[in-house]
Amino acid sequence: MSALRRLTGLAALSLAATLALTSCGSDDGDSTGNSGRANPDATVTVRLRLEPTSLDLTTVAGAALDQVLLDNVYQGLLTRDADDKIVPALASDYVVAPDGLSYTFTLDPEATFHDGSPVTAADVVWSYERVLDPTSTNPNKADFTKVASVTAPDEKTVRITLKQRDSNFTYGLTNRAGVVYKKGATGLADSENGTGPFTLEKWQRGASLTLARYEKYRGDKAKAAKVVFRYIPDDNAANNATLSGDIDALTALDPKLLPPYQSNQDFTIQEGVASDKLVLGFNNSSGPLKDVRVRRAIRQAIDKDGFIKSYGEGVRIGGPVAPTDPWYDKSLTSIDEYDPAAAKKLLAEAGVSNLKLSLTVANFYPSLYAEYVASQLEQVGITVQIKSVPFASWLDSVYTKADYQLSIVDHAEARDIANWANPKYYFRYDNKAVQKLVADAGLAATDAERDDLLKQAAKQVSEDAASDFLSGGQIHTVLRKGVEGFPKNSTSSRLNVVNLSKP
Amino acid sequence: MIVFLARRLALLLASLVLASVLVFLLLRLLPGDLAQVIAGTQATPEAVAALRERLGTDRSPATQYLDWISGVVTGDLGRSPLSGASIGGELAEKLSVTVPLAVFAIVLAVALAVPAGILAAALHRRRAGTVISVVSQIGIAVPTLWVGLVLAVVFAVQLHWLPAQGFPLDGWDEPGRALESLVLPAVTLALAEGAVLLRYVRSATLEVLHEDWLRTARAKGLTRTQALLRHGVRNAALSVVSVLGLQIATLLVGAIVVETVFNLPGAGQLLVRDVGNRDLVAVQSEVLIISAAVLIAGFTIDVAHRLIDPRLRGAR
Repeated sequence: MSALRRLTGLAALSLAATLALTSCGSDDGDSTGNSGRANPDATVTVRLRLEPTSLDLTTVAGAALDQVLLDNVYQGLLTRDADDKIVPALASDYVVAPDGLSYTFTLDPEATFHDGSPVTAADVVWSYERVLDPTSTNPNKADFTKVASVTAPDEKTVRITLKQRDSNFTYGLTNRAGVVYKKGATGLADSENGTGPFTLEKWQRGASLTLARYEKYRGDKAKAAKVVFRYIPDDNAANNATLSGDIDALTALDPKLLPPYQSNQDFTIQEGVASDKLVLGFNNSSGPLKDVRVRRAIRQAIDKDGFIKSYGEGVRIGGPVAPTDPWYDKSLTSIDEYDPAAAKKLLAEAGVSNLKLSLTVANFYPSLYAEYVASQLEQVGITVQIKSVPFASWLDSVYTKADYQLSIVDHAEARDIANWANPKYYFRYDNKAVQKLVADAGLAATDAERDDLLKQAAKQVSEDAASDFLSGGQIHTVLRKGVEGFPKNSTSSRLNVVNLSKP
Repeated sequence: MIVFLARRLALLLASLVLASVLVFLLLRLLPGDLAQVIAGTQATPEAVAALRERLGTDRSPATQYLDWISGVVTGDLGRSPLSGASIGGELAEKLSVTVPLAVFAIVLAVALAVPAGILAAALHRRRAGTVISVVSQIGIAVPTLWVGLVLAVVFAVQLHWLPAQGFPLDGWDEPGRALESLVLPAVTLALAEGAVLLRYVRSATLEVLHEDWLRTARAKGLTRTQALLRHGVRNAALSVVSVLGLQIATLLVGAIVVETVFNLPGAGQLLVRDVGNRDLVAVQSEVLIISAAVLIAGFTIDVAHRLIDPRLRGAR
């Protein structure tokens, strides 16, 4: 751990040097942007951190795949707009039966695959039956749990029938499971034949992925001729690349690295929200954390406002719901407010003293997360031993075997409250009332009814102190002057670059 | 010489087999499961189990080892179950960055360390010699990571002479830009490796300075410099060549750090990524090929040793 900290210290030092040097060398006076004049021949370069391990959305999990491929290269029947509203994509229109058990989609007659062939109902049926196949290993198979059948009444119409009402079905369709491939598609790991506004021009593994405008796209064509995603895991290397002019946009930047851009005329900073929930996970089924009083004490011992301030970004959430979800309820932040004295009292009531807990955390998160929690818990007499492990080890010990006490995880997926209704999930949180509320919400006839039920579930999760919620996601994006059309929200999970442009 | 070569080759083969077993076993000790990494946290346990079966990671270690090693022997490293890419092809692509980087760095390091080391030894009682020693000591102490960052800030961010990071999108199809992007990484590596090498050159030269035969050479009328250059350097070179052989291994470790700092798509980055993803099938082949390269380099150095030193030629 100390070696790690030493490296960070050195990195900070060199960043400070960069800062000092750039602030005296960047006023060339020519920063009066000519905004709005997008150059149709431009190549826009975007720095991303994590590279996809494969391009096959049907078998390999990971937000890095969704981020670059969804909306840009591949599309489903439906998608989501910048405000997270569900809107048509390959379907030009759809009708839901009054009983909510059948959905009829009309395909956009102009839609084609990148090889020029039209998108037909047979392609949709083939794609969706692959997800439904019992041997399917699609990571998002769960989104189709309620689907009974997918049929093609005619070449441009698709009918999906459900076994039960599913108020989350259309949302699920906007994700991976809903992507339409050409019937019989193969070689998805390193090639594509999608329907989106971009084609995949080149994937240089370990370095970059280049998208090129699909000139025959049916709708509004991409503003830039090319978008290059450069994968630079190291923040300092990314900073140097940006300041030396190689990069036009950086998103989801560590807030500690923002100051050089705030004071630099050549860049603008854009702020947005994200579906991330930074969760302090408790093992609810074993050890000292089985006692709700201990869990509540931990929640009361951690000052979330202080956390957000020292990390530099984030919003208070108080429950398992991000502000981007329709059932977000701000009032949950008042449950178990910061109160170290009350925390100590609860611990005494529970009869525990000199409590020692281990905190297992994947090593790609900033070390501040775990260190902050450890120092706050120390104030109420709990000693925390931090175990920083590689992600694959975390998956094995914490996620699969629930062999842990505390863990910090960024739950980046939107609308994932069902994780707290799954007693086998790594929280091992088992509350029948919450499970019923979530199940009923799935069957709800209207969105309002669903949202109301899920608000009740979220409140119960928070009152049970099933987890603690350090912060909700906030995203900062740094753009070179003149770069426009970069999405604001949830850019780590989905990055539609069709409107991205530069002069 | 023939006996020596045969003996040395047998040793090389035995080391390779041992390395393959060690690599295979050590990787199996790592906690983590490729199927879970591929399927992610939203997948059902049934889907993960199905994937494990498809990947073959549920088979016995012996079967997996034999399956792998028979592929390696026939020259087929297979495909990564994670990315679907050809492992051999990808490694070759990455080595086309790492090998030039390593060669570039070692040439620079030798060019820097040999003259400076000899000078430091020749002047070891004077101030200039002490200065060289101190500078090399600093070179050893300063972390490669930091040197790289500073070089990038000065020469790329400030002066715009060289790229701060990355490799051209078209790779070696743009030879000028490809070379340019290797300059700062190679200098970074060369400074670290050169500083170590300089210490060895200095002490090897100091040692020969006190040899009887060097005194004899001077007694025959050569000046100190002449004696050192004509007789001393060749003798000192022996131990320096051995050290160089050892440094090839540390060079690879250095390459991992440098590739990260400069974001070069090289073999070091590939290894780090595949270990992180628990793509063991890919990692074991990559490590084996790299170990083989180091072992073969060691073998070559041994042979070179014989050629430089006539005294060893008769020995077995």
